[in-house]
Amino acid sequence: MIQKVLVANRGEIAIRVMRSCREMEIKSVAVYSEADRASMHVRYADEAYYIGPSPSIESYLSINNIIDAAKKSGADAIHPGYGFLSENAEFARRCAEEGIIFIGPSPESISTMGDKITARKNMMAAGIPVIPGTVEPITGEKEAIETIREIGLPVMIKASAGGGGKGMRLVKREEDIVSAIRAARSEARAAFGNDAIYIEKYIESPHHIEFQILGDQHGNIVHLFERECSVQRRHQKVIEETPSPLMTPEIREEMGRFAVAAAKAVNYFGAGTIEFIVDENMNYYFLEMNTRLQVEHPITERVVGVDLVKEQIKIAMGERMTLKQEELKQNGHAIECRIYAEDPENNFMPSPGKITHITEPLGLGVRHDGYVYVGYSIPIHYDPLISKLIVWAGTRQEAIARMRRALYAYKITGIKTSIPFLARIMENKDFVEGKYNTHFIEKNMEMLMTREGCGRRCQDMALIAAFIHYTKKNNELKINNNGCSASNQWKAFGRRKSVNRL
Amino acid sequence: MALEIIIGDRKAKIELLSQNGNLIRVNVDGKIYDLDLMMVEQGVYSILYNNISYNVELIEKEDYHHYTVNTLYNSWDVEIIDSEIKYRRNRHPENNEDVRKIFSPMPGKVVKILVNEGEKVKAGETVIIVSAMKMESEYKVKKDRIVKKVLVKEGDTIDSNQTLIVLE
Repeated sequence: MIQKVLVANRGEIAIRVMRSCREMEIKSVAVYSEADRASMHVRYADEAYYIGPSPSIESYLSINNIIDAAKKSGADAIHPGYGFLSENAEFARRCAEEGIIFIGPSPESISTMGDKITARKNMMAAGIPVIPGTVEPITGEKEAIETIREIGLPVMIKASAGGGGKGMRLVKREEDIVSAIRAARSEARAAFGNDAIYIEKYIESPHHIEFQILGDQHGNIVHLFERECSVQRRHQKVIEETPSPLMTPEIREEMGRFAVAAAKAVNYFGAGTIEFIVDENMNYYFLEMNTRLQVEHPITERVVGVDLVKEQIKIAMGERMTLKQEELKQNGHAIECRIYAEDPENNFMPSPGKITHITEPLGLGVRHDGYVYVGYSIPIHYDPLISKLIVWAGTRQEAIARMRRALYAYKITGIKTSIPFLARIMENKDFVEGKYNTHFIEKNMEMLMTREGCGRRCQDMALIAAFIHYTKKNNELKINNNGCSASNQWKAFGRRKSVNRL
Repeated sequence: MALEIIIGDRKAKIELLSQNGNLIRVNVDGKIYDLDLMMVEQGVYSILYNNISYNVELIEKEDYHHYTVNTLYNSWDVEIIDSEIKYRRNRHPENNEDVRKIFSPMPGKVVKILVNEGEKVKAGETVIIVSAMKMESEYKVKKDRIVKKVLVKEGDTIDSNQTLIVLE
């Protein structure tokens, strides 16, 4: 039995995990870096341990410091969240050696799926469709050029150890091949310490659709349907929704079967995600597997009605899964918007700083997973994700209207956020009609950057309120100033003295 | 007395004509409004105009002349120009000049400094790289310049709008 879980993460996901722990009557342990003493996850947890200086490499990525904290606190399990050490096979192995349960898959599954070429090979062997391309890692330039001629342009060059869009290059013209290979390799070496690359056919106007899977340690695996993640900027997801507006029941069933087969091929247990790339004609190919909880997991939770963190914990305890594929249903529609501390009007530059005011959206069908509060300073050292706004409604149209309503009500002052940009997406015709692919933001940039005002009259109301407020403040200052003069202080002192004597 | 207020890129003239409890009459750029206006929470105003309801949130910035004002759909920066602000502006005219310094609008960490003091740099050359939240930003010079002073070191943590490099 797990009685105490250390959450090796920060921000919204640490709090999200602790919430489920609390419902299960499991104690939660936070870890924090120097910059995070006042962070919400430290305040929310039952216990908190310092793990090092602010840069994540010395704290949230330090396996030794985290294991130390787990031992000191007596935690019997570690939940890694997403990012940081969540897909680090060495960390999972260390936990096992120290007798601490790692809430996630086996180290073997992590390393098989973490290396993109090994993953491709395994998937091909299991009969899962993969994008046409190389099977072996490529190290020589000549070899790469020959392979690209064979596959045919355009192609995508990717880092074998890659992820998050790093070490990735699109090649459309023959004369760019050599420079693209060099750039991808040097980027891969810098980011992952491994310059092996592989080459894939480039899929035009692709959709990014992923399947959530859950497997227990007894070989039972189910999928919890798809998530459409095609609204991306620089390969980073911005908005996710489920069900996908593209999906048909037949293709959903087929892809779901492949997702389960993919997980079975690596003896997977825990929560995981199989990512597919889908073209305009609904041809789909295995892209990669994420061996952790995803940022966008709440939309699946809402539509399927399953708490994924609780399932992860139960699986880690060795329990048999009670979910049955034939009993799982999608109910209604859910959308998630990622709120980042960034300035959309200034080339999405990060905007860390102090939060001076927040108004959070409430009401039917709204879930808000965040971690900031008034007076909190968002540190410069970590990811700019502030919160996730998740809405649910019976239909897609209603969910969009609800998201729009929630985004308009959501105000954060002190820093710049992506909220206005997200609200524009909810008003975009292509998005509303469900006709979009991963080029959506690029294609609609102009529309998404124009801000429609609320009109002259509404602006006048803002002016009037500011004017009245200023006048009031100004008058208060005058009164206080009078009270501050020396003679008046003596008068006040005298008055207080005589009152106290009574 | 009429006051000037800057909202976004608009400069408006505003005057309170009469007040009777919540009921006010104001003149905004020649348009007269009869309103029912109430402060319902600290800094939050409820305004009724011909029975149309507006909820306006004010967040004070550096002082009571500067606000962020939120309405349902919009958010603006507002500056109230009274005699104090006018006086301050006249005293510090250099604030409006080209001061030839490199600064970062966001707080972060200096990753790399590409120039030395006394070095000549060409327009468009990157002089310093700053990182925040896993993203790196390059700062370039706009004209041919000479590096006069480098005020930070690689690895330094910097505040927003802190001067990093002085140019000549």
